[in-house]
Amino acid sequence: MKPNPPSILLVDDDIDICSNMLDILIDLGYHVESANDGATALEMIRQNSYDVAVLDYKMPGMNGVALLHQIRKTRPEMVSLLVTAYAGSAADDAMSAGVSEILSKPVEVTRLIKIVGEAVDRPLILIVDDDRELCSNLWDLMKDRGYRVGLAHDGEEAARRLAESIYDVVLIDIKLPDCNGSGVFRKVCEVNPEARTLLITGEVAETGCVVDQILAEGADAVHYKPFDVPKLLETLERLIKARLGREAS
Amino acid sequence: MGQLRLFGRYQFLQDYVGWTEQDEQRVRLLGPQLQPHLPALIDDFYEEIQRHPNVRSVITGGAAQIERLKQSLNDWVADLLSGCYDEEYVGRRWRVGKRHVAIGLDQIYANAAISRLRGGILRALGSEWTGDASSLQEASLSLTKLIDLDMAIIGDAYQAELTSLLQRTERLATMGQVAGGVAHELRNPLNVVKTSVYFLLNARNPTSEKTNEHLKRIERHVELADGVITTLTSFAKMPTPDIRSVSVEQCLREALDLHMLDNRIEVDLQCPPEIPLVLADLNQLRIVFGNLIRNARDAMPEEGKLSIIASESGDEVVVKVVDTGVGITQEVLARISEPLYSTKARGLGLGLAIVRAILDKINGNLAIRSEPGRGSTFTVRLKSVAQQAGASE
Repeated sequence: MKPNPPSILLVDDDIDICSNMLDILIDLGYHVESANDGATALEMIRQNSYDVAVLDYKMPGMNGVALLHQIRKTRPEMVSLLVTAYAGSAADDAMSAGVSEILSKPVEVTRLIKIVGEAVDRPLILIVDDDRELCSNLWDLMKDRGYRVGLAHDGEEAARRLAESIYDVVLIDIKLPDCNGSGVFRKVCEVNPEARTLLITGEVAETGCVVDQILAEGADAVHYKPFDVPKLLETLERLIKARLGREAS
Repeated sequence: MGQLRLFGRYQFLQDYVGWTEQDEQRVRLLGPQLQPHLPALIDDFYEEIQRHPNVRSVITGGAAQIERLKQSLNDWVADLLSGCYDEEYVGRRWRVGKRHVAIGLDQIYANAAISRLRGGILRALGSEWTGDASSLQEASLSLTKLIDLDMAIIGDAYQAELTSLLQRTERLATMGQVAGGVAHELRNPLNVVKTSVYFLLNARNPTSEKTNEHLKRIERHVELADGVITTLTSFAKMPTPDIRSVSVEQCLREALDLHMLDNRIEVDLQCPPEIPLVLADLNQLRIVFGNLIRNARDAMPEEGKLSIIASESGDEVVVKVVDTGVGITQEVLARISEPLYSTKARGLGLGLAIVRAILDKINGNLAIRSEPGRGSTFTVRLKSVAQQAGASE
């Protein structure tokens, strides 16, 4: 296992099943924490990010789908799995809340382990942009490609996200409310020099010299808004390959 | 119904309407006279059907089906005029009624249709008749009796088949309900057992404490699963109550002690000393109050007040269990006492069904009122000892 093992959050009101899954996943080398109700889980998510959350659907108080919505809002980079005895209407709601997988109860342990293993291997992307709708669109697009996507809407938030997780690629908007993109770029170089960076900007004329400067400092690529989406995704894929290839060598 | 019993029933009906050998002979002689009229009567019969959407909707097979139906109606009339009314004959009539259930033809339409056909046959008979008026009347009466007997058997078969169909449907629905409720409650403990076993078989670094912990957990959940089955079977055959004079106050206190409520819930027990004893099985009544107290507790997850107020009303003792909890919506209220119906994350959904079953056996009853968001009131009425003393005098 890596020095920083992937982290998993288990949420189930059945204390015994929670302890069992905890033992099984800890034995596999994961860092695992658990909560027995939605409110506690929510508090934990506010404090920390986890790679994967495994949520029980039927819990007193806040149910698994309500929790999913909260995770999507506060921790979009987390991969969430929902465990339920009856799919039904909850499934649609869970899908719209961005669930990665719905598992039927009782869960086949080997299947869960496989899904968790795949989830923690997915590339992790951070998008730093104050345009929330653009972020939301990119989130959908990238999730669809099997990436995990974190979001930050200003420089300060970006710094916090970068401190919490090791991102593979960071997309940086040049014009942010509290700083320009070069601040974020330098932060990336400082905390996670392995990460690839992709600048995204709308104003060629206005920000041209900043872009050139950041590229000179080592940013990997730039894309101008409005994006050519296939090209953006292509660049992203190339950067992910380069990043993960470098790690492997 | 067995063929023999069926035939016995038919013979009884024959006696009842005064069917005799002469009737049989008369009908047998009518056959050749009526034969030429049958095709027209049958055509009229189906033309009439086409005019009534409710009846027409039963015929889904188009012209080909109408042809087949005309043939079987023709056979039916031929059979009717055959003069041979044995076991086989009655069996064939019985099957007509069963068939009507299968195709969804309401019995009232079958009756109306047969009545129309009878009118046609009698008119045809009149137009062909060469004998005197009194013999025509006798022949008509014989035919009428015979057709009435047919209608009785067909109607009887229809009713029997419909009842058994409804019972089958209901049994299946109940079975589905039981299976669903039990499946949910058993799956949870089985799931724990399964994952513990997985850990024991696959863990790479299990300590002996961990191993022990998982073995104990397996044991506990096997017992839990067993408990689910025990609850279910004891509900299915609830023991006959051992009815004695019981103090409501004592019973309420015991139930409250058994369901320790944490201090977020304020409890107010009002049970004036003059309340008479009630006629009940103490153990079962404790279950009644216990279930109501548990429901009240579950309805107040944050905090609230549970008031239990006993009073005397005529020959009854009334116990109101009032909570200030989440309340119950109209939809849920309609189904709340159904066995295996539950809105909770855990539990079989038998609590109120057990309450009702127990109260039924001691002539008590349960009424529920609720206001969503404000709370619910469960009112239990029990027969007091005083009432019993008065009744036995």
